[in-house]
Amino acid sequence: MPLSGSEVRTLVDELLHEQRELSAVAKFARASPSTGNRAPGQRHRDLIPLTAPRPGEQYGFEVDLDRCSGCKGCVTACHTLNGLDEAESWREVGVLLGEIQIPASPDPNAGNRVIPWQQTVTTACHHCVEPACLLGCPVLAYDKDPVTGIVRHLDDQCIGCSYCILKCPYEVPQFSAKRGIVRKCDMCQGRLAVGEAPACVQACPNEAIRITHVRSDWATIEWREKREATWLPDAPAPDYTVPTTRYLTKTQRPYLAAGDHYRNRPAHAHWPLILLLTLTQIGMGAMLAGWWRNGLPTTAWNLSRANLVGLAGFGLFLAGLGASVFHLGQPRKAWRVWLGWRTSWMSREAIALNLLLGVAGTTAAVSTVPLAWLGPLGRADATVPLLPFQVALCGLLTVAVAVGVVTQIMVYVDTRRSYWSWSQTGPRFLGTVLLGTALAGNWLEPSPVIAIGLGLILLLKLAQETRALKPAQSDESRRTQGRRSAELILGPLRPLWCFRLLAAAFGLAAVLFGPSAGLTPLIGGTLASVTLLTGELAERWLFFAAVSPDKMPGLP
Amino acid sequence: MNPSLSKNTWLREWSGPLTAELARTPGSFGLGQVPLRLAPDSLVSMVCGYCSTGCGLNVHLKDGRAVSLTPDPHHPVNLGMACPKGWEALTPLAAPDRLTTPLLRDRQTGRLEPVSWIRAMSEFVSRMRGIQERHGPHSLAYLSTGQITTEEMALLGSLFKFGMGGLHGDSNTRQCMATSHVAYKQSLGFDAPPFTYADFEESDVLIFVGSNPCIAHPIMWQRVLRNPHSPEIVVLDPRRTETAVNATLHLALKPKSDLTLLYGLAAALIQAGAVKAEFVNAHTTGFAEFAQFVAEFTPERVCLAAGLERPDFDRCVNLIAQGKRVSFWWTMGVNQGHESTRTAQAIINLALMTGNIGRPGTGANSITGQCNAMGSRLFANVTSLLGGRDTSNPDDRTHVARILGIPVERIPTEKSWAYDQILAGIDTGDIRGLWVIATNPAQSWIDQHRFLDRLKKLDFLVVQDLYSTTEMAQRADLILPAAGWGEKEGTFINSERRIGVLKNVSPAPGEALSDFSIFRLVAEAWGCGQLFREWRTPEAAFQILKRLSAGQPCDFTGIRDYRHLDEAGGIQWPYRAGQEDRLPASETRERRLFADGGFFHADGRARFHFEHPVPVAEPTTNEYPYVLLTGRGTSAQWHTNSRTGKSAILRALYPADLYLEIHPEDAGRLGLVGGGQVRVSSRRGTLLADVLITPTVSPGQVYLPMHYPEVNRLTCAQFDPYSRQPSYKHCAVALARP
Repeated sequence: MPLSGSEVRTLVDELLHEQRELSAVAKFARASPSTGNRAPGQRHRDLIPLTAPRPGEQYGFEVDLDRCSGCKGCVTACHTLNGLDEAESWREVGVLLGEIQIPASPDPNAGNRVIPWQQTVTTACHHCVEPACLLGCPVLAYDKDPVTGIVRHLDDQCIGCSYCILKCPYEVPQFSAKRGIVRKCDMCQGRLAVGEAPACVQACPNEAIRITHVRSDWATIEWREKREATWLPDAPAPDYTVPTTRYLTKTQRPYLAAGDHYRNRPAHAHWPLILLLTLTQIGMGAMLAGWWRNGLPTTAWNLSRANLVGLAGFGLFLAGLGASVFHLGQPRKAWRVWLGWRTSWMSREAIALNLLLGVAGTTAAVSTVPLAWLGPLGRADATVPLLPFQVALCGLLTVAVAVGVVTQIMVYVDTRRSYWSWSQTGPRFLGTVLLGTALAGNWLEPSPVIAIGLGLILLLKLAQETRALKPAQSDESRRTQGRRSAELILGPLRPLWCFRLLAAAFGLAAVLFGPSAGLTPLIGGTLASVTLLTGELAERWLFFAAVSPDKMPGLP
Repeated sequence: MNPSLSKNTWLREWSGPLTAELARTPGSFGLGQVPLRLAPDSLVSMVCGYCSTGCGLNVHLKDGRAVSLTPDPHHPVNLGMACPKGWEALTPLAAPDRLTTPLLRDRQTGRLEPVSWIRAMSEFVSRMRGIQERHGPHSLAYLSTGQITTEEMALLGSLFKFGMGGLHGDSNTRQCMATSHVAYKQSLGFDAPPFTYADFEESDVLIFVGSNPCIAHPIMWQRVLRNPHSPEIVVLDPRRTETAVNATLHLALKPKSDLTLLYGLAAALIQAGAVKAEFVNAHTTGFAEFAQFVAEFTPERVCLAAGLERPDFDRCVNLIAQGKRVSFWWTMGVNQGHESTRTAQAIINLALMTGNIGRPGTGANSITGQCNAMGSRLFANVTSLLGGRDTSNPDDRTHVARILGIPVERIPTEKSWAYDQILAGIDTGDIRGLWVIATNPAQSWIDQHRFLDRLKKLDFLVVQDLYSTTEMAQRADLILPAAGWGEKEGTFINSERRIGVLKNVSPAPGEALSDFSIFRLVAEAWGCGQLFREWRTPEAAFQILKRLSAGQPCDFTGIRDYRHLDEAGGIQWPYRAGQEDRLPASETRERRLFADGGFFHADGRARFHFEHPVPVAEPTTNEYPYVLLTGRGTSAQWHTNSRTGKSAILRALYPADLYLEIHPEDAGRLGLVGGGQVRVSSRRGTLLADVLITPTVSPGQVYLPMHYPEVNRLTCAQFDPYSRQPSYKHCAVALARP
């Protein structure tokens, strides 16, 4: 029998109508709040301290690895119970794979045997005794509670500079693109305050996570040794930030490697920072070269080549500063950036670059504006050599550049990533400033001496960059930070590395052989400048993309 | 006022709009603090829709809509806990690829185009009927699931067989629990897992065979860790799984040496005098023959075959012999084998001969896979008749016909083909039209290339699902949009026989309808709606199911209605009418079977079933020198990931790309590096996977998690002869650098 159309039509309407009625809610919902506001289950209260920490103590997570069986419920519970974004959780899990030793038999003389092992590990913010995030934050957006030791992030104070992400060895602060700030675990301090367990603690079926009092006086050697015994293999060394999470287990675990031990992917490029560093540094070098060589104008605007070079450097410097604003999630709050100057190199960099901006701006004005406008200082000559006050200004500028570069270097050195150590960061950043100077010199009065000097700077820089590739030849099966960086440069980043080398070579060739090849100074200079600047940008791109810090054990 | 607000200075904002986004508030309902913007105004509890554990989840409602959920602290199963899938159960409902209308493949363009339900039904009926007219009534088949409600399964099975005149239907429980079903039925007289979850807490020895509850059933593992008796935990598994590292004894047996090992354990237990003769004599049949049969499985032979050290074997024997309450648990490592029924029965035999059944902390216990595999086993009307009856028995047919109020001649007398036979029927042209409901065999069925080739031979393929993007839906001629868990009512039956209720807490998108409604619609369109007048709502259907259960071992006529189930946190069968008053207080929430030693065979005795082990279909060769094992990846993945893959937070809990677990020795020999890639080939297909070097797999074996689409290109279609369950746990592969 074919369709009895109208009957089916009626039924479709009826069924669609029924489907839209959430009848079960009316039938089953428990409409009255029946059991008060306490967190469910008495058992959770055994998993948090009954008292506030005593002096010298703070709260810390304690993870019993022998009870963690790998369900990962803590991650989803944190996500749900804290109302986080779609992909956001303040707890992460990883796995350790390898072998452990166990007694070969109950007979204590029988020795040990090695058996395969896997261990899931759960990690969240470690509420460190010396929180790198807090110490690095330029705007005081972190607070460590004096009583509980909980490291809290002040979301409305944050300017979204992401420096804490670079500072924290445990990948704890996460950037929220839609808000332009980072967010992180607060150990559910509001729950703890009313005697409820944090989300992850509540949700672990095996009671593997608890909150305990831990000693925060890191100073004693004895305590340091104990702390390292309760830390994870294949995790960042704990002596930098003094994490308070304790991982307990009765098993020995000497041969375990993280599930993601071999994973090695290029890091975020941070383009605004690439532009900031490269342009300001080239600019600094050019300003110094131009304005130290600059004479002063008297009755007309100073359009001397030296001043134009100085101004061009100033322009690059401004462009770099401008680019950095695009790195901020909350640029309107950027004025706060000096607040963390006591501990944050990021604050110090910002202060130093702003002072430099003032000095450079003043120098630019003095160098350009007709001296006659300055009244009694003015003289009738066409141009005059440097006046004492201009020498002082250039001296000040030189000091400001030095301080600025050092703070820029320290911003990265202070993250304790081996690829960003002094030996890599220092020569790169200083080298770029000197390259700026040499390039400017080449514009001012091209000469073999300048060309050779420029070549030497570039070669020294390249030599230092190439040294970072050395760890790739290691025979060890374990990957160190340095080796991972080297493998990134020679692996997925190889095209960029080749480009960087080619750009340097081409730029150098333009400087050395341009004049003899018949290039006009304008064309030769432009070619050399553009090529070398591009090479420096590629160098800085590598600087960010090839960094591969240690991290907490992750998933394969 | 927020105390931190007072701390605000012009230099430092302690609070403000961004901080407020994370504000929490006391949640009422005993919830503790919840996010302020998601604070519920009412709460309903319902059973989870992923695995067979059957956790209770509290769905938080705000203005009548589900906004969040937390595990139910008062539910007897999960005690306030959930695995990641449960926590994220609502997320897949909001996925952007949800079906909102029926889609029909346009014959000209070949594209799936939206159509009305009327058009969809007219197409369904005319083409299915057309096939039946041309090729006979049995040329249609359906493949269903353990993921829909019992009421829906029963209606589908009844509609297809009694209404549409079809015969051949099966379900993806064939891939998961068919073995347990057959093994229990043959051994104990009925498909009756005897245990309750409290047994995890009451054993002094727990034996897990081919089971990894730490990640496959984390909430059951919670119960193991709550065991106060410092139990010995023995794990039989070729891999050093999460559960194996938590065991007190891990027997890393060679793949598919399980049956030999279990017979060897039986022989050694007989030697050790561990047989409970009194129990065996009073309650079982066939032990003498069994004892004679296993005698040849000496410890030496068994240890050699299974690759075990003798002291480990002896220790396992001693633990079983000396344990006072020994429980045996098995899952897919057993069920998905080429001789799985006998393997499961070898476990049952161990429990029977040592008297470890019917008492707290004992049992031969099959941990089920899917949320409603048990419902399917009892009421899908697939291989047995509704309520665990026999379709070839005239009395059973008459009984069912009377309860349903349908003519008895509507009930087929023949048995349906099993899954693999239906697929073979497509090859032979016997099956021309296929209706696939809530399952994704285009990814999950064994020997994928062959399966996909067979689909091309169909005249008409209908897929009923939540999503348009599953591998199966993409191949359909007609897709029917279904409402999912959380968008409909009905019941599930979990591993411990607990019937739990699910509820409609979230509106289905567009014109998606519950599977129950779709089946009603099909019945009406087919013209057999009259037969199913009483199946008006799921709860009305539940009353029919109660009547069907009456007098059966699974009798649950004592359950009044959904509200009764809801208030009790689910009720385990049997629960006969009148029984509710006679139950001792200790058994109102948790009960086990066979306390009186009476089994469900007519003579009340359990049977010993045994048979010589047979070799696997595809042993390793020089060309294909590695054994490929497949199975669960993580607790955050479910089946073909069609639902779990929709949650971003779940996706963070497992690797995005397929990975092969391989032992360091093998990786070294092949020159494979961690994080690199490997090409894995079998005689049937090939794939690329990331390399994960780990000693938790043995040399010569490799492991692939089953949730990635390409895995079953490799697997070898071998089936257990009794349960016809596919053997996913063994095939030969070759490895090479890509």
